[in-house]
Amino acid sequence: MGRTQAKTMSSMSSPLGVKSLLVFTVLMLAWLAGFLSRLFAVIRFESIIHEFDPWFNYRATAHMVKNGFYNFLNWFDERAWYPLGRIVGGTVYPGLMVTSGSIHYILNLLNIPVHIRDICVFLAPIFSGLTAIATYLLTKEIWSAGAGLFAACFIAVVPGYISRSVAGSYDNEGIAIFALMFTYFLWVKSVKTGSLFWSSMASLSYFYMVSAWGGYVYIINLIPLHVFALLLMGRFSHRLYTAYTTFYILGLICSMQIPFVGFQPIRTSEHMAAAGVFALLNAVAVLKYLQSVMTRAEFRHFFLVAAGTAAGAVFLAVVGLTWMGIVAPWSGRFYSLWDTGYAKIHIPIIASVSEHQPTTWFSFFFDLHILVATFPVGLWYCIKNINDERVFIVLFAVSAVYFAGVMVRLMLTLTPVVCVLGGIAFSRLFEVYLKEEEQSRPQSGDSSDDDEDGEKNNKYDKAGKLRKMKHEQQSSNDGLGVNIRSMVIVAVLMILMMFSVHCTWVTSNAYSSPSIVLASYSQDGRQILDDFREAYYWLAQNTDTDARVMSWWDYGYQIAGMANRTTLVDNNTWNNSHIALVGKAMSSNETAAYDIMTALDVDYVLVIFGGVIGYSGDDINKFLWMVRIAEGEHPKDIKESDYFTDRGEFRVDAQGSSTLLNCLMYKLSYYRFGELKLDFRTPHGFDRTRNTVIGNKDFKLTYLEEAYTTEHWLVRVYRVKKPDEFNRPRIPVSQRKVKRRNVYLTKKTSKRRRGSIKNRPVVVKGHRPKTKLT
Amino acid sequence: MVSDGGWLRGGTGITPQRVCDIRPPTPKMEGHLKVLLLGLLVVASSATYDSINKDLINKKFDRKLDISSQLVKITNKITLENGGSGAVKSFLLAFTKVEKDNLSYLNAQSGGTVLKLAETRVQEHRDLAFFKVELKDALQSGKTVNVEVEIILTQILEPYPAIIQQGEKQLVRYSGNHYILTPYSSNTQTTTVTLPSPNIESYSRLKPTTHTDTSITYGPYEGVAGFSEDSMNVHFENNAPFLTVSRLERVIEVSHWGNIAIEETIDVLHTGAKLKGPFSRYDYQREHNSYSSIKSFKTIMPASAKDVYYRDEIGNISTSHMRVQDDAVELDLRPRFPLFGGWKTHYKIGYNVPSYEYLYSSGDEYILKMRILDHVFDDFTVDELVLKIILPEGVRNIILETPYLVERLPDAKHFTYLDTVGRPVVSVTKKNLVESHIQDFTLHYQFPSILMLQEPLLVVIAFFILFITVIFYVRLDLTLSKDDATEAKMRVSSYCEQVHTHHDKRARLYEKLEEELQKLKTSKDVAQSQTAGFRPAFRAANRTLISCIL
Repeated sequence: MGRTQAKTMSSMSSPLGVKSLLVFTVLMLAWLAGFLSRLFAVIRFESIIHEFDPWFNYRATAHMVKNGFYNFLNWFDERAWYPLGRIVGGTVYPGLMVTSGSIHYILNLLNIPVHIRDICVFLAPIFSGLTAIATYLLTKEIWSAGAGLFAACFIAVVPGYISRSVAGSYDNEGIAIFALMFTYFLWVKSVKTGSLFWSSMASLSYFYMVSAWGGYVYIINLIPLHVFALLLMGRFSHRLYTAYTTFYILGLICSMQIPFVGFQPIRTSEHMAAAGVFALLNAVAVLKYLQSVMTRAEFRHFFLVAAGTAAGAVFLAVVGLTWMGIVAPWSGRFYSLWDTGYAKIHIPIIASVSEHQPTTWFSFFFDLHILVATFPVGLWYCIKNINDERVFIVLFAVSAVYFAGVMVRLMLTLTPVVCVLGGIAFSRLFEVYLKEEEQSRPQSGDSSDDDEDGEKNNKYDKAGKLRKMKHEQQSSNDGLGVNIRSMVIVAVLMILMMFSVHCTWVTSNAYSSPSIVLASYSQDGRQILDDFREAYYWLAQNTDTDARVMSWWDYGYQIAGMANRTTLVDNNTWNNSHIALVGKAMSSNETAAYDIMTALDVDYVLVIFGGVIGYSGDDINKFLWMVRIAEGEHPKDIKESDYFTDRGEFRVDAQGSSTLLNCLMYKLSYYRFGELKLDFRTPHGFDRTRNTVIGNKDFKLTYLEEAYTTEHWLVRVYRVKKPDEFNRPRIPVSQRKVKRRNVYLTKKTSKRRRGSIKNRPVVVKGHRPKTKLT
Repeated sequence: MVSDGGWLRGGTGITPQRVCDIRPPTPKMEGHLKVLLLGLLVVASSATYDSINKDLINKKFDRKLDISSQLVKITNKITLENGGSGAVKSFLLAFTKVEKDNLSYLNAQSGGTVLKLAETRVQEHRDLAFFKVELKDALQSGKTVNVEVEIILTQILEPYPAIIQQGEKQLVRYSGNHYILTPYSSNTQTTTVTLPSPNIESYSRLKPTTHTDTSITYGPYEGVAGFSEDSMNVHFENNAPFLTVSRLERVIEVSHWGNIAIEETIDVLHTGAKLKGPFSRYDYQREHNSYSSIKSFKTIMPASAKDVYYRDEIGNISTSHMRVQDDAVELDLRPRFPLFGGWKTHYKIGYNVPSYEYLYSSGDEYILKMRILDHVFDDFTVDELVLKIILPEGVRNIILETPYLVERLPDAKHFTYLDTVGRPVVSVTKKNLVESHIQDFTLHYQFPSILMLQEPLLVVIAFFILFITVIFYVRLDLTLSKDDATEAKMRVSSYCEQVHTHHDKRARLYEKLEEELQKLKTSKDVAQSQTAGFRPAFRAANRTLISCIL
C-alpha cells in the first residue's frame, strides 16, 4: 500500500527534504499498513491475549508490573509444576516483559491509564513497524535505499511474519524479529565502517535480542560464520577486526547478564563457534602483523608450524573441555535441527508440538507468496556483485532457508531475509525498466533513489554511496522498447497487488484467530463459542484458591493465566518425567490413575472434548502423544500398542482396544456422552470430531465426579473425590469423632398427636371448599 | 449511637432540605470517620432512653408479609389511637435483634407524608431495638391516626435443607412471630403471608389460621398485649433467585466535555441452598429441572446509556443481549456459567450517559444529580456498596447531599489523561441496600470554566515542544571534525537547486511572455501589453539569476 503511494508521488526536483520526506512517508505507511493488518482479531473478537504461550507472558508481565522488576527476577512460581514449582525469573527471557512493562511505566508517568493487557495485545503490531524500519536500514546498507523501501513494505505485510505478530499474540518472536534485524543492520554497518560506535551498538542490540528470545543463538553463530567466510575469501581487514572483537567481547559480557542465559555463552557448544572465530581472527591479525616484519620464507615456515599447533591445541581444548563436562555438548533441540528424525525418536515432547514439524512446500508459498520466487533473484544479484556485507546476507539467506525447511516455526527467521532479497530483486527490476522514463521525466517513485548518485545524495546514504556499483549506472543503455517496458511494469505491479491481496487474505483467514474464543458461522450469523473462558472462569470463581488442576500441558499456561489455579504441567515443558506422569495418569485406568492423582494432590482434572461441536484439537486427538510420552518414561506400565486395534488403528468406537476404552482420558471425555443425542439423524453418543459412535457408552466414575462441563461440552472439569467419599470404611462407634448428642424427641405433644399431610387442603368449617373450575 | 449500616428513612419523594449534608472527613480526624457523620436525621442521642407510652393503643394492626422473593418485605398498616389524656407526638416501632441486624430499609408514612425516624432504646427491653416515629401532628386524646410502615429485611429466609442436589427444589424456612411485635397493646392484629407457590412443606398454626393457594392468613387476633410473642415457622418452596451482590463498586466519572462514564464492578453470590454433588451438563441441558440455578438476569440502565460493555478480568462476556426501550435500556446478562447455590461470579458493567441529563450548572456552580445505586436485578440486595465520584480536575467546594445516611470515605485523587494535579474523588460506602435505595444524591461543586482550556493547551504545547525539538535536532551539528567534502557537496547541491528554481521561474515567465506576444499578435493592442508590465519582472528575474550563478 505504501509502495504504490510512493510511486505516484513525484516532485519537481529531488533535494534533501523531498527525498527524506518520501522515505519517511513510505516507512510510516508501511508501519501503518503493518499495524492495521494485524488487527483483524481485535476487530472481530476483542482485545484479548491469544493461544497458549502469550498467556504466560502476559501473566509474567502483569506480575512484574504489580510487584516490580526485582521481585519478578526472584519470582518463584509455586502455582506451576506442582509440587516442584518453577523459578520463573531464572527460566524466562525477560525482554518481552521488560519492554511492555516499561511502556506501561512511561505511559503511567504521563497519566495515560492504559491497561497492561492492551499494551501486551498491541505490542507485536507496533514492533512490526520497527521491524520494517530495521529492515529498511539493513537493506539500504546492503543494496540501496529503494530496495530498502521495498523490503520494509514487504516485511510489514508478509504473512510469514504476521503469523507470529498479530495483535494479541504476545510472544517473544514479536519483538525478537525486530531485535534480530536491527542487530544485523548494526553489524553490517560496523563491518562497513569499522567504527567502535557501531559495533558497540550492535552488541547492545544483541543484548536486547538475548533478553528477548532463545533465537539469539542464531545471531551468535551467523555473525562468526560471516567473519569466517570473509577470512576464507581473503577479505580480512582492520574494519572487520575491530567490528568483530568489539562485538564479541561486549556481546558476550552483556548476554551473560540475563539470568536464564548465565554462563551458557562460555560453557555450551552452541556458543563455541563464536569463541573459535574470535581466536582465529586474532591469530590472523597477528599473522598479518608478522607478515609485515618477516621475510617471505620465514613467514611461510612460521605460518605452517603456528597454524598446525594452534589448530591442534584448539581442537584438543574443545574436546577436553567437553569431555570434562565444562563445556556442555549439543542439546537435543539443537540436534533436531540437523537430524529431522532425531526428535521423533529421542524427545517425543518436542516432536509433539505441531510447529516443530518439517515445513511443507505449500507453506512456503502460503507464507511468502511471490517473494519465494523472487528472493533467489536478489540472492543472485548479491552473489554477482559481492562485497563484505553481501556475503553476510548470502549466508543469512542460505542458513535461514535450511532452518525453515526443518521446522515450520523457523519460517520466521527466513521471512526477513526473503523480504530483503525480494526488495533487492524488485528494486533492480524497476531500475532497469523505469530508466528511460526517468530520463525524460525528472524522477518517479522510490526506484529513483538508487540512481541518484553522489552529488544529490545526502547524509542518509553516506556509507552506501561509496560502494555504488558501476553497473548501476551503466545498465540503462540497453535498448528496451517502450512497449516491453510498460508491459513488464504493469505485470510486476499486478504481481505486487496480488501479493498484498494474498497477504491480507492469509492474515485474515489463517492467523487472526485468538483460538481461545471460537466462532462458528451459520445462516443466522456468527455464533461465539466461549467455552474455554467459561470453564477457566468457573475454576477461578468457584474452586479453592489453592486447588490443583491436572490437565495436559497444552492448557497449563491458560489455566494459570485465566483461572489462576495451580497446575501440574504447563507449556514450559522443562520436566519431561513430570509430563510423562500426567500422561500416564491420563492413559491408565481409573484406579491406577487415582493413585497417581492422590500422590500428586490433584483436586480437579480438566479435559478438552470436541465431540459435541466437532472441534478437532481436543485431547482424544492428542491422546497418542500422551501415551508415547508416558511410555518413554514408564515403558512397563504403558505400551502404545495397547491403544491400537489389532489392525493398528486408533479408534474410539466399539472396535477400539479395550485399554483405550477404559482409560481415564476416554472416560473423562465421554462421561454421560453415550446418553446424549445430538440430532435426529445420528444415534446416541455420536462423536462429531471422529464421526463414529463411541464404543464404551455406559460407565460410571468411581473416583471422580463431574464438577463442571461447559455449554458445548468443550471443556470438562472433574473433581477428584477424597478417599472417604467413595469407599467409606466403617468406624466403630467408640472411635467416631462426631457423636450424636441429641436423642430424637418427638414433637408431638399431648395436644397435637396427629401427623401432618403434605399439601393437605385446608377445610374451614362453614365454608364450601373452592373448586378449581370457577 | 447510630451504626453505619442498617436503616434509613425517606421515600422517593424526598425534598432537598431533609437531605443529609455530608462533609468529607478532615485529615486530622481521619481516625474518627464515623464520629463525623452529621445529618439532620441523626438526632438520636445514644445516651437517652425512651419510655413506652401506655396510653397508645393499636386499634388495628395489619401486617403483610411478602416472602415470595429472597427478601422479606413487610408492610404494616397501623391505626393508632391515643387512649390517654395528653397529646402524643411520637410512637415506637420494635424489632428483634435479628431483624434489626438484617434491616435494610425502613419507611413510615402517614397520609402521604414521610415521617421522621430515629433509633432509640427502651430501658426495660434492652434485647429489642426501637425506632421512634415522629408524627406529623400531635395526636390528640381519643383521636386515631393511620400510619403505614414499610420494612425490608434481607438474609432472613434460610434455605432448609441448606444443601441440595442439582435436580432438587429449593426449600426455604421463615421464622418469625405470629403476633406482631409492638410495644402497645392491640385490639386487632392480622398477618397475611404471601408465598411464591402453593407448595408448602409445613407451617405453624395459631388459630385462626387460613391457608389458601399462595397465602396464609394469621388472625385476626383480638386483644393482644404489647410484646406478645409466639414463634411462627413457614417452610415452603421458593425457587426465586437467591442472588446477593456481595460487593458493588460504582464509579461515576464526570467530564465537562459532555459525558458521564459509569462503571460498576459487581460480585454476585448465590446465597440459596448450596449445590451438593456433581453438576451434570447433560441433565442441565436435557431436563430443565435445575430450579434454583440462575442462568441469566436483567439489569435496567438509563435510557440514554450507550457504549455498554460487560466484561471481567479475562475479557468480554459474549453471552448477553441488549434491548433499547423507550424508557430504559434493558440488558439481559448471562454470566459465563449458570449460578448454583454457593457459586459466585464477578463482572464489570459500564456505559456512558450524556451529562446534560444529570449535570446542571449556573456560571461556575455545578450540581450533579445521579443515583447512588442503580438497578442490578429485580429484588436485589447489596451487602456493601462503594460509590466513587470522579470530578474534573480543579473542582472546588464539594458538598455532597444524600437522601439517606452513608459513610463518607476520605477523598482521593485520580489521575487519567492529561491530568496534572489529579481529579478529586468523592467516595462513600454503605452496607445492606435494596431496590428502595435507588435514590438520587446531589453533589454541589464549583469549577472555573477557564480550566476547560487547560487540556487542549497541554496538547498544543506538547506538540509544539516536539516540533521545536525536531527542528533544532535536524539543524544541529555536533560533529567534531568538519567534513569539507560533504559540506561542499551540499553547498553545490543547494546552488544547483537554486539555479534550478530560477530556471523554472524564468521558463514560466518566458511562457507567459510568449503568450502575451501571441495575444498581442492577434489583438495588436500595444498599449495594453505595455501596461501588463511583464518586462520589468522579466528583467528582474534575469538579473537575480545571473547574480546567483555568479
